[in-house]
Amino acid sequence: MSVERRRVAGQAVQRRDLFEKVTGAATYTVDVTPPGCLHAKVVRSSRAHARILGIETSAALAVPGVIAVVTASDLAALFPRFGHIIPDHAILAMEKVRYYGEPVALVVAENIVAASDGAEAVQVRYEDLPAAMDAEAALAPDAPILHDDDYGASGDESFSEMAATPGLPDHGDSPPRTNVAHTVDLSWGDVDAALAQAHIVVENRVHYPMLYAYAMEPYNAVASFTEDSLHVVSSAQHPFMVRTDLARIFSLPLSRVRVQVPYLGGGYGSKSYTKIEPLAAVGAWVVRQPVKLVLDVEEAIYTTRADSAAITVRSGFDAEGRILARAFDIVLDSGAYADNSPLVLAKAVNRCFGPYRVPNLRVRGRSVYTNTSPASSYRGFGAPQGALAGETNLDRAAAQLGIDPVEIRRRNLVPPGGEILPGKRGIDADLPADLELVAESLQRDARTVPGHGIGVACTASDAGAYPISTAIVRVQTDGSVTVLSGSTEMGQGSRSVLAQLVAEELGVPIEAVDVVQSDTAMSSYERTTGASRTTTLVGLAVQRACADARAKLTEMAAEIEQCPPESLAQGDGVLESADGRKLAFGDIISRWFGGDAGEVTGVGTLRRDGRTQKMPPFWEVGMVGVEVGIDPETGVVRVDQLVTVADVGFAFNPKAVEGQDLGAATQGLGGALFEELVYDGPQLVNPNMVEYRVPRMTDLADKIESIVVERGDGVGPYGAKGGGEGALNPMGAAVANAVAMATGKWPSRLPLTPERVWRLVNDLPEVDAE
Amino acid sequence: MVLPPFALHRPTTTAQALSLLAEDSVPYSGGTELLLAMRMGLIRPTALVDLKRIPEMQEIRTDRSRLLIGAGVSHDRLATDPLVEQHARLLAAAEREVGNARVRAQGSIGGNICFGEPRSDVATVLIALEAELGLANSAGERSVPAEEFFLGPYWTARDATELLTAISIPLPCAEGVYLKFQTVERPTVAVAAVRRPGGDYRVVVGAVGEVPVWADYPGVGEVDPVDLVGRTSPVSDLTGSERYKRHVTEVYIRRAAELLAESER
Amino acid sequence: MTAAQPATGHDHVVVAADVNGVSVTEPVPTRWTLAQFLRDRLGLTGTKVSCELQVCGACSVLVDGAPVSACTYLAADIDGRRVQTVEGLAARDQLHPLQRSFVEHFALQCGFCTPGFLMMAKALLDRNPDPTEDEVKEYLDGNICRCTGYEPIVAAVLDAAKRMRGQA
Ligand SMILES: Cc1cc2nc3c(=O)[nH]c(=O)nc-3n(C[C@H](O)[C@H](O)[C@H](O)COP(=O)(O)OP(=O)(O)OC[C@H]3O[C@@H](n4cnc5c(N)ncnc54)[C@H](O)[C@@H]3O)c2cc1C
Ligand code: FES
Ligand code: FES
Repeated sequence: MSVERRRVAGQAVQRRDLFEKVTGAATYTVDVTPPGCLHAKVVRSSRAHARILGIETSAALAVPGVIAVVTASDLAALFPRFGHIIPDHAILAMEKVRYYGEPVALVVAENIVAASDGAEAVQVRYEDLPAAMDAEAALAPDAPILHDDDYGASGDESFSEMAATPGLPDHGDSPPRTNVAHTVDLSWGDVDAALAQAHIVVENRVHYPMLYAYAMEPYNAVASFTEDSLHVVSSAQHPFMVRTDLARIFSLPLSRVRVQVPYLGGGYGSKSYTKIEPLAAVGAWVVRQPVKLVLDVEEAIYTTRADSAAITVRSGFDAEGRILARAFDIVLDSGAYADNSPLVLAKAVNRCFGPYRVPNLRVRGRSVYTNTSPASSYRGFGAPQGALAGETNLDRAAAQLGIDPVEIRRRNLVPPGGEILPGKRGIDADLPADLELVAESLQRDARTVPGHGIGVACTASDAGAYPISTAIVRVQTDGSVTVLSGSTEMGQGSRSVLAQLVAEELGVPIEAVDVVQSDTAMSSYERTTGASRTTTLVGLAVQRACADARAKLTEMAAEIEQCPPESLAQGDGVLESADGRKLAFGDIISRWFGGDAGEVTGVGTLRRDGRTQKMPPFWEVGMVGVEVGIDPETGVVRVDQLVTVADVGFAFNPKAVEGQDLGAATQGLGGALFEELVYDGPQLVNPNMVEYRVPRMTDLADKIESIVVERGDGVGPYGAKGGGEGALNPMGAAVANAVAMATGKWPSRLPLTPERVWRLVNDLPEVDAE
Repeated sequence: MVLPPFALHRPTTTAQALSLLAEDSVPYSGGTELLLAMRMGLIRPTALVDLKRIPEMQEIRTDRSRLLIGAGVSHDRLATDPLVEQHARLLAAAEREVGNARVRAQGSIGGNICFGEPRSDVATVLIALEAELGLANSAGERSVPAEEFFLGPYWTARDATELLTAISIPLPCAEGVYLKFQTVERPTVAVAAVRRPGGDYRVVVGAVGEVPVWADYPGVGEVDPVDLVGRTSPVSDLTGSERYKRHVTEVYIRRAAELLAESER
Repeated sequence: MTAAQPATGHDHVVVAADVNGVSVTEPVPTRWTLAQFLRDRLGLTGTKVSCELQVCGACSVLVDGAPVSACTYLAADIDGRRVQTVEGLAARDQLHPLQRSFVEHFALQCGFCTPGFLMMAKALLDRNPDPTEDEVKEYLDGNICRCTGYEPIVAAVLDAAKRMRGQA
C-alpha cells in the first residue's frame, strides 16, 4: 500500500523555523529578559536525605545586589507542592530534603553574579537521615521511608486511561508506608500452566541505566506577576499542564495564569510537565518583580533524569519458537519524587512484552522512591527499559532453539490489525513487512567475520497520549491564515507540519500560513506535546478547524451570492460558483463583513470519540537493526551499520521524518554504548557532559539507512501517525543482541562500555571483589 | 555558573609577569583548565597574571641543536607549525589529537604541563622526546628535564612563583609512534614508543597513572609490556577499573611496540 | 586603560574590540565570560551556552579567526581583537552558504547547537576549503548535537564547502 502524493503535505518543504535558527535570531527561553528582570539562583541540598534544622540567610542578604532569599517558610499562604499524578513535589524543601541537589532556597538578586554569590552564602544546617540510594535498598524491609504522606493522587482521569490497569494508591485505610510510589499489574491467561507445558523456558534479568536526556538547553523560566495574573515564559513541553500546577499553587483561575513557550532547545520528553516554573514564580511572587531562573547542566540533571530499571523476564516457547507465555517483574528507580514515573511505569508494563502474540501474560511493575534525582519522562517512556528485557530474552530463546533471531520474530509478530493489548486498538502497522526491510538491509552489507554481530529488535508503543486537542484557524481578508495550536515546537518541526497541513486543506500557499503555538493565553488548548502526537492528533484538530472554516465561508458566500450553499464547489483557496466564478476566501470575508475587514475562525476539537475512541490513538513502531564490530582486546564496540524503519503512515515531510528517526536512533545508541548516570554515595559522580558521554560525530555508523515507510494506516491526516521516538525504543536491545552475536555471551546491563564488553568476553565478574 | 571574582594583570614581559606572581596570584594562559577549576571552586586565586601578551612566550624556533617552544604556544599551532612538523613529528601528531578544535586553539602547551593533569598527551610525548623545561623566577632561571617535572596529580616541580618559559627539545628528535586509548575527553592510556637518536628505544606510558612511567630498551623486541604496566599506578574511575586499565595499558604498549617495529621494517 | 599599563590588577577592564564588524568599547568585570558579555551586554543571544565545560561547542565563536568556547573564555581577552558570532555570518539579507546548506539539509532541529556548529564549520572551511568527510567529522567532534544524529550536519558542511569553492 502506498500513499497519495499531495501538493504541499508530503513534500520536503524547507522548515521556516530553521531560517531563524541559523541566523541566531530564534528566541529561546534563555534569551528572554524582560525589563526590570531580577535573577535567581537555587540553593541546593548537599545531603541525600536529611532533616533541615535551620536556614541562615543573613549573610546572603548582605551580599550587594541580593534582594530576597525565599525558603519554604515563605510559602505558607500557597499550595507549596506540585505533581500532576501525585502532588508530592515540594517547590522548596519543607522540613527535610530527599535528594542531593534538591532546591532548599531561592536567592533573588539584581544580577546573576550577585544571585550566585548570595546562594553560596546561604548556610543550611542538616541532621542526616539514613538514605535509600537505589531501588533495592529502598525496597528492603527496614528501609528509610522517603514520604510519610500519601498526598492524594491528582484527579487526572486520563492517567488511568493510559495505564492498562491502573493501580492508583488506595486511600481507604492506611497501610504501612513503603517506598513504592506506584504499582501496575497486567495479566491474562494462565502463565504458570503455560510455562509448565513449554518446550523451553528462558529467563534473564537486565539492568537499564539511569539516563539523562541532555536537551542542550537546560531548564529555564521567567516569571512575573501583574495585578493578580501570573505570566511565565518557560522551556516547558506542556504549557497547559504547567498552567494547572501553577494555578493550584497560587489559587488563581486558569485564565489568570499565562504560560508561554518560545523555541525549545531540545526536549525529548524531559521537559514534560512542571519543572522549575514554580521556583521562578514564587520568586516573582515574593519580590513582585519579574524573576528569571536559568539552570546549568548539573542542576538540570538534578532536576530530572530518566527511570533506571531492573527487570526479570521468563518466557516459555514451543519447539518452533512460538511464545506461549511471558512473565515480567519490573522495578523502576524513580528518585525522590513521583513526577511522571507512574505513567512511565504503566508504559513499561504495556510495552515490555513486545508486539507479539502472547497468549498468557503476567507483568508486575513497581515504581520506587529513592534518595536520588527525581525521574520522569524521557523519549521512549518505559519502552527502552522493557524492550531490553523482552528482546534479549527472545534472542536467547532463538539461540537455544537454533532459530535465526529474525525468524523467531517473524513467527511471533502480530499481523496488521492484530491485538497487542486486549480491548485496545489493534496494531495500525505491518510489522512483519517492516522486519523484512530491516533484515534485507542488514544482510546486504553484513560482514561475516569474527568479532562482528548483527542484532535486531522491535517495539510497538501505545502512543499518542490522551486525545484532547483543539485548534483554531483564522482566515484573513487577504486569504492568509493564522493557525493557533497549543502544541510546542521543540525541534521536531511541528510548526512546519501544521502549516503544510493547513496549506493543503485550504489550498493556500504555505507562505500564507503562520502558526502561533504554545501560549496558554494566545493559542488554543493542547493537552501535551509528547508521545509523538502532534502530527496525528493536533493534525486532526487542525484538519477539522479547516473544514469548519470552509463551512463558514461556504455559508457566507451563499449569503452574499444568494445561492444555495450546495451549489458552491470547494477549490484551492477559493469557492467556485455554479457559473464558474472563483470566489477567493479573502474576498468572501471582505464582502460579508463589508469593508476590507473581518476574519473567519474555524475551530477544530478532538476528544475520545469516533476514530480516536479506541486507545491508544496509534501505535508507534520501533524497528531497528545494527551491526557491530568488537575489538576483543579492549571491548570497544563500533557500529558498522544502523538501519531504522520509520513506519509513520504518511510522511508530511520525509526529510524531517528521517532526521527525527536518526536523532532518536542516535540517542538510543548513546544509552546502549555510553550513557549512564552513576551514583557513588549521596551524589552523582558524573553530573556533567564530560563524564556523561553522549554520542559524538565520530561515533557515526559507517552505514546509516533510515527507511521511511508510508502505508497510510494511521488515524491522523492522510493516514499519518506519530514518529520521533520509535527508533530509540528497541536500540539498546538491538545493540545488546548484536554484541551477543559477536561475542557469544549475553550482556545483561547497558551501556556496553568497553570494560563491560571486555569482562563479558572474558567471563569476568561485572565488578572485581574488593 | 559564574566565575568567582579576581583581579586581572596583563604584563607584556616575562620580568613583569614574574614580579606579579604569588601563592594566590597565578599564571593564566588559555584558561581552559584554570577557569574551569575556578568555576568549580577548586582554586580561588585573588589575581590572574595573563601571559598571552608576552611575545617571547609565543615563539617557536630552532637554536643550534634544539627546538624551542614558548610556553604560551597553542596546541593548534604545534599541530600545524612547519618547524614542529619537520623536527618533532611525534609532537605534532599528538597535538592534532588533543581535546577538540577549540581547546587546541585556546589551550597552551605550558598550561597543559603546568596544570599537572595526569591525563595529558603532551607530558607523555615530551618525556619520550627528552624535552627540557625552562623555568624562571625573579631570582633566575633553571632547566628541568621533563622526566623530573611531573611529581604527582596536579603537582609539578614548578614553584608557585616560577613561570614555565619555554620547552626545549633536543635535535635530532626521537621518532616513533603515539597511541592513545580514549573514551571521554582526555586519554585513559597514552603510549609513546620511540627510537632515540642514539639507536635504542624508549616507551613512555602516560595518562593511566599518577605520573608517566617509562623504560629504555636496546631493541624494540625487548619491550616488556607486563613490566611497564607493573610500574603504573592506575586508579578505578568511570573510564575503567584498575584491572581493566592495566589490561588496556598492556595491550596498547604491545600495539605501539609492534607498530614501531613495523615502521622500521 | 591600555595594555601598556600592565602592572595593576583590575576587577574591571575596558574592552575595545571589533564584534561582527562593529567596534565596541565597554568596561566589563574581569570575571565575565565572553558568552556573558555577548549575550547580556551586547544582546547577541545567538551564541548559546550549554555544558560550560568546553565539550558541547554551543558557545563556539571566533576570536581573530580562531574558534574558542565563549563559556570558558574571559570577555577581557577580546580586548584589541576581532570577534565573529553567528549574528555576523549572514551578509545583510544574504545567508552564508553554510547557513543555507544547514537549512536545506535539515542539519538542525531544535537549533540550540546550530550557532556553534556554524561557527566551527566556518573555522574549518576558512583553513581547509576542501575537507574530506573524515576531516569534517574530526574537526566537529567537539560539538554536540542531540537532535539530528549528525549525518545531515556532515552533509551540509561538505555541500557548503563545495558551493564556496565554486564561488571562489
Ligand atoms: C574539553 C577538554 C579536553 C581536553 N582534552 C585534552 C586531551 O585530550 N589531551 C590533553 O593533553 N589535554 C587535554 N585537555 C587539557 C588542555 O590541553 C589544557 O587544558 C590546556 O592545554 C591548558 O592550557 P591553558 O593555556 O588553557 O592553561 P590554563 O588553564 O591557562 O592554565 C593551566 C594551569 O597552568 C598554569 N600555567 C599556565 N601557563 C603557565 C606557565 N607558562 N608557567 C607556569 N604556569 C602556567 C596556570 O596557572 C594553571 O594552573 C583538555 C581540556 C579540555 C577543557
Ligand atoms: S557551553 Fe561552551 S562548550 Fe559547551
Ligand atoms: S538541533 Fe537540537 S541539539 Fe542540534
